[in-house]
Amino acid sequence: MNEYITIALPKGKLFNKSLRLLERVGYSAENVTEDSRKLVISNEETKVRFIIAKTVDVPTYVEYGAADIGIIGKDVLLEQDKDVVELLDLGFGRCRLMMAVPEAKRRGKLTDYAHLRVATKYPNCAKAYFNKLGIQTEIVKLNGSIELGPIVGLSEMIVDIVETGTTLRENKLAEVDSIFTATARLIANRASFKLKFARLHKLVEDLRVVLHEEEK
Amino acid sequence: MINKVYQVPYGTKDILPGEMKTRRRIENAIIDVFDKWGYDEVKTPSFEYVDTFGSMSAKGDFRFFDRNNNLLVLRSDMTAPIARLTATRLNGGEKIKRLCYLANLYRYEEIQAGRQCEFEQAGVELLGASGAAADAEIIVLAVKALQAAGVKQFTISLGHVDFINGLAEEAGFSENQLVELKNCLRRHDAVAMQQMADAMQNIRPEIKQLFADLLFLQGGSELLAKMRAVVTNPKAVNALENLAAIYELVQAYGASEYLTFDLGLYRSLDYYTGMLFEAYLPEMGYPVAGGGRYDKMMQDFGLNYPATGFALGVDRVVLALERGGMAQAVRSWDALVAWNEGKLPEAIAKAAALRSEGRSVKLCTEAMDLTAAAAAVKEYCCSGLVYVP
Repeated sequence: MNEYITIALPKGKLFNKSLRLLERVGYSAENVTEDSRKLVISNEETKVRFIIAKTVDVPTYVEYGAADIGIIGKDVLLEQDKDVVELLDLGFGRCRLMMAVPEAKRRGKLTDYAHLRVATKYPNCAKAYFNKLGIQTEIVKLNGSIELGPIVGLSEMIVDIVETGTTLRENKLAEVDSIFTATARLIANRASFKLKFARLHKLVEDLRVVLHEEEK
Repeated sequence: MINKVYQVPYGTKDILPGEMKTRRRIENAIIDVFDKWGYDEVKTPSFEYVDTFGSMSAKGDFRFFDRNNNLLVLRSDMTAPIARLTATRLNGGEKIKRLCYLANLYRYEEIQAGRQCEFEQAGVELLGASGAAADAEIIVLAVKALQAAGVKQFTISLGHVDFINGLAEEAGFSENQLVELKNCLRRHDAVAMQQMADAMQNIRPEIKQLFADLLFLQGGSELLAKMRAVVTNPKAVNALENLAAIYELVQAYGASEYLTFDLGLYRSLDYYTGMLFEAYLPEMGYPVAGGGRYDKMMQDFGLNYPATGFALGVDRVVLALERGGMAQAVRSWDALVAWNEGKLPEAIAKAAALRSEGRSVKLCTEAMDLTAAAAAVKEYCCSGLVYVP
């Protein structure tokens, strides 16, 4: 178990890019696919093991040491506040957390939105954001289709991830403020980072080189 | 109303027969090592006045009021109580004081990744000695304690607060920037460190790079040599020399194979003034022991005593050994003394004789025939049977 480096890969948007990036630095295995029935796939030769995990669970695997490293969006890290080492900004999977309201219900100042209900998949990030603004809100936690909130009368605002903004426009929502931008990060378990430092340091350096090349 | 009669409070647990025996064996082994190295065991109260902890009393502490409305706190750390004890009861006498303890501590934590609200620490404090010799003794004692507990594989990461403080000085950091730097290190956020380094201006490129690499500055003596070549700030240079001196002494003890330098190490407790370290086991995702030098703590209690020490999380060590299959919960006694009707007085004599020989004996409280006795031996986890017919 100790000779292996175990990597938690996030299912979903980040999966393919993560896999390809790791392949470029020699971390790969046969038949690693998002919908693989096998959830743990090993490469005996290079002593690498992949765990295919639900995106929001990647930090948990890494914090507990079930995986030595993982790839996960900074948005998930900010929401969960797990005790892991954040090693590298991988640059891809860029998305933005923002606050939006129905276009027709826009108000003058941000503080005018006090004491209203906010539907969000990111309650901790939302709370922190409104705390900084100095206003109280009622957080309504949902797990998906956040834009439905204002449409069905569940909330007056939403705090959600936006990429192109198409979904917002289609649902007649207007972005009112940007909260943060997030990209994919490489994270590591604290003990693994000390006990397997040489291998992980090399991985980080190799990834840095690859990312630098890709930038050009 | 939920019936709490049968539940233990959140974050606490019972330790069952067998488990407790294993734990006690580990505790005894650790305390024995401390004793052999000249440490006096002490005991302080489970709760103290909040004032004793001062700014160290954190949000997660269990607080309550006494009858006079004084705010009390269940202790969450032992260094403040030991400092209080030393200042009030042990002042004077030997210049160098060696104290050790085995104590339950309390802090409200989310019980994830092995944290409990009630947890046990075995620790030592070496008071009155500045300098590398004392620091080396503490580090090697941590090694010996882990080994005595039965841990085979572990690594000790060693850093120094003045390396970080010195670098911050060289970079001309303001108070706020230093706080921000320490937060990044505490959160183990290399990306934030990189961003901080990128934003730095009017600074030597080598120093800028050091900041970006701070969490990656791990390695052996060659790392120290590399740093000596780059760093000029006197505080940081002294820190490196201090670390080198400590390492040499740990080598003299024959324990340097367990030691790795980790110059980005920064522990959550703010009171360290010199070297600091953490111990990691392969089975556990987080440190099982940690410590360092904290020369300023005694000043809060009106004394000027340098101090260095460490604490080891007994629960975590026990957990690691269990996971590694090295700490079986074992329940066994030498003999079951069983007896036929009317033969209890003889059975008592038999049991007494065996006990005076040093045997562990369970004496039946009721008469039983030989067959029943033979069956009972296994049930009561005894190796042998003595039957009084």
